[in-house]
Amino acid sequence: MKIAVCIKQVPTREWQPRLNDTKTWIREQEASYEMNEPDAYALEEGLRLREKHGGEVVVCSAGPARVQQVIREALARGADRALHVEDDALGAADAFTAAQALVPAMKEEGFDLILTGLQSDDQGHAQFGPVLAEKLGVPHSTIIMEVVVESGSLKVKRELEGGWFQYVTMPTPALLTIQSGINQLRYATLKGIMAAKKKEIKKVTPPAGLASRLKVVALYAPQKSKQTVMIGGAAAEAAHELVRRLREEARAL
Amino acid sequence: MERETLEVDVLIVGGGPAGLSTALRLAQLQKARGGEPLSIAVVEKAREAGAHQLSGALLDPSALAELIPDFKAKGAPLAAEVTNDNIYYLTPRKRLRLPITPPPFRNHGNYIISLNLFTKWLAEQVEAAGIDLFWGFAGQSVLFDGNRVIGVRTGDRGVGKDGQPRGMFEPGADIQAKVTIFADGVRGHLTKELMRTLQLGQSSEPAQFAIGLKELWEVPKDRLAPGTVIHTLGYPLRQEEFGGSWLYAMPNGRISIGFVVGLDYKDPLLDPYSAFQRFKQHPFIAGILAGGQVIRYGAKALPEGGWSTQPKLFMDGGLIIGDAANFVNSLRLKGIHLAMRSGMLAAETAFDAIRAGDASAHALSAYKARVDASAIKSELYPVRGVHQAFAGGLCAGSAFAGLAMLTGGLLPGDMGGHPGHTRIKRLEHYYGMAKQDILSGSNAVAPDRKLTFDKLTSVHYSGTHHEENQPVHLLVHTEVCHTICGEEFGHPCVRFCPANVYEMVDDGQGRRRLQINASNCVHCKTCDIMDPYGVITWIAPEGGEGPQYDGM
Amino acid sequence: MILVIAEQKDGKLNRASWEAIAAAQQLAGGQMPVKVAVFGKNVSGVAAELAGAAVAEVLAADADALGTYTPDAFVQAAGAVITAQAPQYVILPHTYQTRDFVPTLASRLDRALVTDVIALRTAGGQAAFARPMFQGKLVADIVPQGPTPHLVTVQIGAFRADAVQKGQAPVNAVQAPVDAGAIRQRPEAPFQEAKQAVDLSQAERIVAVGRGIKSQENVALAEQLAQAFGAELAASRPICDNGWLPMERQIGSSGQTVAPKLYVAIGISGAIQHLVGMKGSRTIVAINKDAEAPIFEIADYGIVGDLFEIAPALMAELKK
Repeated sequence: MKIAVCIKQVPTREWQPRLNDTKTWIREQEASYEMNEPDAYALEEGLRLREKHGGEVVVCSAGPARVQQVIREALARGADRALHVEDDALGAADAFTAAQALVPAMKEEGFDLILTGLQSDDQGHAQFGPVLAEKLGVPHSTIIMEVVVESGSLKVKRELEGGWFQYVTMPTPALLTIQSGINQLRYATLKGIMAAKKKEIKKVTPPAGLASRLKVVALYAPQKSKQTVMIGGAAAEAAHELVRRLREEARAL
Repeated sequence: MERETLEVDVLIVGGGPAGLSTALRLAQLQKARGGEPLSIAVVEKAREAGAHQLSGALLDPSALAELIPDFKAKGAPLAAEVTNDNIYYLTPRKRLRLPITPPPFRNHGNYIISLNLFTKWLAEQVEAAGIDLFWGFAGQSVLFDGNRVIGVRTGDRGVGKDGQPRGMFEPGADIQAKVTIFADGVRGHLTKELMRTLQLGQSSEPAQFAIGLKELWEVPKDRLAPGTVIHTLGYPLRQEEFGGSWLYAMPNGRISIGFVVGLDYKDPLLDPYSAFQRFKQHPFIAGILAGGQVIRYGAKALPEGGWSTQPKLFMDGGLIIGDAANFVNSLRLKGIHLAMRSGMLAAETAFDAIRAGDASAHALSAYKARVDASAIKSELYPVRGVHQAFAGGLCAGSAFAGLAMLTGGLLPGDMGGHPGHTRIKRLEHYYGMAKQDILSGSNAVAPDRKLTFDKLTSVHYSGTHHEENQPVHLLVHTEVCHTICGEEFGHPCVRFCPANVYEMVDDGQGRRRLQINASNCVHCKTCDIMDPYGVITWIAPEGGEGPQYDGM
Repeated sequence: MILVIAEQKDGKLNRASWEAIAAAQQLAGGQMPVKVAVFGKNVSGVAAELAGAAVAEVLAADADALGTYTPDAFVQAAGAVITAQAPQYVILPHTYQTRDFVPTLASRLDRALVTDVIALRTAGGQAAFARPMFQGKLVADIVPQGPTPHLVTVQIGAFRADAVQKGQAPVNAVQAPVDAGAIRQRPEAPFQEAKQAVDLSQAERIVAVGRGIKSQENVALAEQLAQAFGAELAASRPICDNGWLPMERQIGSSGQTVAPKLYVAIGISGAIQHLVGMKGSRTIVAINKDAEAPIFEIADYGIVGDLFEIAPALMAELKK
């Protein structure tokens, strides 16, 4: 089975946002980066499927040279080789652009299964997977908690809202977006890290004419729109007033 | 699950300037002299290069220029060349400019750098030389064969709070090496193990330390010219305390501001963090920071004892370099160049030893000879004992420092000294009254969350992160905390820890209980150094965790 | 024209559809007609319900192939209706179903899609859509580019269903041809699973307890209060550190990040480590005895007082 895992490099959870001078994007140079967490679960799922069914795992990533960090990490954890669509402008690419950037090179490979995280921890569009599936002409399913490979098809457990799930079957090749927590992540080993250095990272330039669909005109810290309403009085009075406001004003009850 | 093993010629433990310089020098020697290629590995607990690196920092480029002569062409991240030096003595409201900048504070030809970015860059050079760098692997213990060091075992990963495997357990790896080079930094926990096991500190004086607290700020761009260097002495510290501040201006309104307090203070209620916050409230400093924003915080101990506190540097199969060997010039507030140089000298020694097939202590003693013949000694020897002299107070220390500089060290330099934590006084000795009276008044600064912050908020700005579900990495004999410490010292850990790791909380039965918030830890090692009973031991948490000192 | 695509399942309207209509009405500002489309099998009841909004028209797309949701069928059907109607904007609630098919739909139509929108803005005379980025650390105002229609999904809870302008709209059937042979997914019936672990990120309401609770015995009080609110119980770090509650209930930078409809913080001072995990909550209530506690800065409602008095009073009040 030829499995692709699309991974993204995102700022770390501990990163403090710093904006550029026009306040339309972050200062990419100053951020520290890590692998997008849901993508790490997708990678682990890919590795487990390969261990069960054979084949290879190819990590695919679009981004500037810095994304080699997460590509190497994926190779160290056990991916066989990598495809890197490299361009500085891809650091700020939206989901649609990133998918388009990857399509030609991924089409050429002819993967049986494409896995990726359900969304990214940076832009969080939650679009990349389904868009890539559409561009590659394969079926997809999203927010997957279990993958069973059958002959020529997949049976997956899709998460619905409120504790509901459903099984969905579809033919391969197919694309799945993986939910965090589907499995437990392995650690990279010393030998894995050493082996990663010898693995192939194929660098590809993105297709010409990529244009962003989403223009960020302002980027800012969340603003609190409401003033804090302080409720005074004795306990019973305060409780009464709070519950009234929660019911009537905030409609939170 | 099987334990991974790896055999290499040279293992370097610690990916800071010392360890990375060792690695790069080894690669250069390999290239220059040819022969069977050496296998070299560097392990480092931080998740990526530079993540745990914190310093002022002023870089004396002397060692860098020897290691990488074309460092400018190779894009070394030097934020600014020092353009002017200023040194002030602060009183609570005023500042007195020292008429001349004393020689150790002159920084002509030095650079203001972010040690985090510098280390990242250095790691790129090492990586390009083909050396295996293993980030996120913490050294857990030294592997011995008798008294011979044969490598290091890295920490287990995936262990739960209860000591049982959680998730994907991965036992630590045994990395065996012909020569193991310890570059585990200030108060390195492996070097500490070596010193105890092999008694490497027998003929040296007790190590001395200070704690450095740092914030990275962004202020309006025209506030200070890039390259401006300011040091202060005095307020809010008193004559009896060793310490002072730095303030370095970088381009784009970036300011590195920090405060150093000697970890040999007497007042059990001193809180270095509060001193730092109070320092920022001084009109001179508050004026510089006004309208700015803090973007990072961190803290780290630094070796202060100098030349006479260096441990025995070599042993069968092992060498100690950098901060782990206390190679810091506390008078000049510089150690990066010494760390790098000691690493380069260790590399030359290790290379020869491996080629000769002899990594005995005798063969590796060539490293000590190299250090003694190097600029490390010519810089540190004349000022040996300076920090110890400060134990007599700021004036005595300053006078001694001045004399030491003038005479090139022709003074009774070996003054001895006591470990700093033994100088802290009991409450009743220091304050001469019952502790209830003393503890009732808090000396903490009320944070305004613009200029001053509480510790927990600052911890957030350190970017530190630890999996909560893992064994506590601070081993404390808590019976001391729950019995005599409150009475005698008023729980100083609560104050000297700059990251709110230690808290005395109500146990619900009217008594106070020590709570260890291990995941706040910024790996500064102060607790391991300063606790008056010596009951706190810092061990490495899971590899890849700890602070994230972006730009620091 | 703005087209809202409502969501229904087995003839039951997803309430979040009203929020999407509210967003559309706000965006239209009375200057553009709003239409609502609903897809499924036997959707006349849902369509009639939707007709209670002040919109130009409700379009009911009824087809056997839309009876059970599949992304392939919905992309086809919605694509056909959008192409025929040629709206300027298409607005949907940001549900799991929307996330499953709308990116594909936008890609097939070759149009821009802005997801998870929390507010409408204008930028240089153009409509801009505010959405969280970087896990809520920042908000971005986005102007979709390229030819219309632009597709927009709105975060659940960001727009108020009760703000929908009421009216009486005609319901019209609309053709939504689906080639059943082109549906590649074969879904099985949904099932509910006993939760293996608490998933606080899914909770509608959360009562979180902090150090102010003082001792382990008092956790029971917080539990009762959570029950009275119909909420999950959560905690700040010290509580979990003490082992008074399991770590999976910890909110904040080393625990979970949540954004429920209601977050009641009792005895929590509001350390930044805690705030980053919950400040996206829609309504925040803080109860603390320290009036200076930072939690009050981000709270919508605050009560300064003794939680041991206020919690029982709240429970009594909620039972009324």
